[in-house]
Amino acid sequence: MTKKNLPQKLYPAFREGIIILAVALFVAPFFNSLRSNGIPLFGFSSAVLIKEQQAKIPEITLSEAYSLYRKDKVIFIDARDPLSYADSHITGAINIYPDEASLHASSLKIKADQGFIFITYCDGPQCPLSKETAHALILRGIPTVKILVNGWGIWLKAGYPVFKGKK
Amino acid sequence: MKFKNFPRPFSPLFALFCRLTLAIIFFYAGIEKIINPRDFAIAIYNYQLLPDCAINLSAIFLPWLEVFTALCLVFGIYLRGASLISALLFLIFATVLTVSLARGLDISCGCFGGSSGNITWFYLVRDLSLCCMSVFVLIYDRGWRYFFA
Repeated sequence: MTKKNLPQKLYPAFREGIIILAVALFVAPFFNSLRSNGIPLFGFSSAVLIKEQQAKIPEITLSEAYSLYRKDKVIFIDARDPLSYADSHITGAINIYPDEASLHASSLKIKADQGFIFITYCDGPQCPLSKETAHALILRGIPTVKILVNGWGIWLKAGYPVFKGKK
Repeated sequence: MKFKNFPRPFSPLFALFCRLTLAIIFFYAGIEKIINPRDFAIAIYNYQLLPDCAINLSAIFLPWLEVFTALCLVFGIYLRGASLISALLFLIFATVLTVSLARGLDISCGCFGGSSGNITWFYLVRDLSLCCMSVFVLIYDRGWRYFFA
């Protein structure tokens, strides 16, 4: 048997690789067109993305937030780290760190359709987490997100309901 | 075990280990990106290397390429092609990583969807190791038949 040189050896690999590429190239746009959260093939716009990221997210006052909370019209989103959340948080709040927004997007969309408003909060007037989580949620198509600036501090100070975890 | 035959008894088994490891990584990475294509599109955009018109296309196509590569690696179908694609994907990503790190970008890796960690030189080392594994599979893997024939 003659020894094959490198290009001869690589030829079947290239041929097989092209077949795999072709199958992926066919299936990917087909599946994307079928799914509900598909994205347009050529529709990415960096200008729109930057505009979305710079869009100002409405803030909400403590009294408005508490009034909605009592009417059961709001879902609080604790944007702090999971340890702080486990220690204590606004009763009924869910913990969504900015990086985790995509994991919760579909369930929050269902809640948004039911008329719920989402209020993100973190600790401290300069804390960026509530804003980052709110941005991440808006980017994923959650429309009704508001920020309670310094939310944890002022909620605690007002003596409103707080869930305390096990120490 | 004769050491002069070292590559022969050892290499197919190690190639199998590499192949299955690569398959798991590709499958997980692909599925995570398929679930959230928009997040992956933003991760691609953050590398600032592709024009806008190619970003969504890449975000749709690459995850499926990863999934099909993973399936081929697991089932031993078009093995040489799959391992070649795997090596090329890691090589391309290593280049992209090097350029991005050299430019000082502090961005999410996007390796396993949108919520991956930020890029560091460690990612480059990991990527090149996986590239070497792919080349090893390309050269030494003999498929399932080698073990079950």
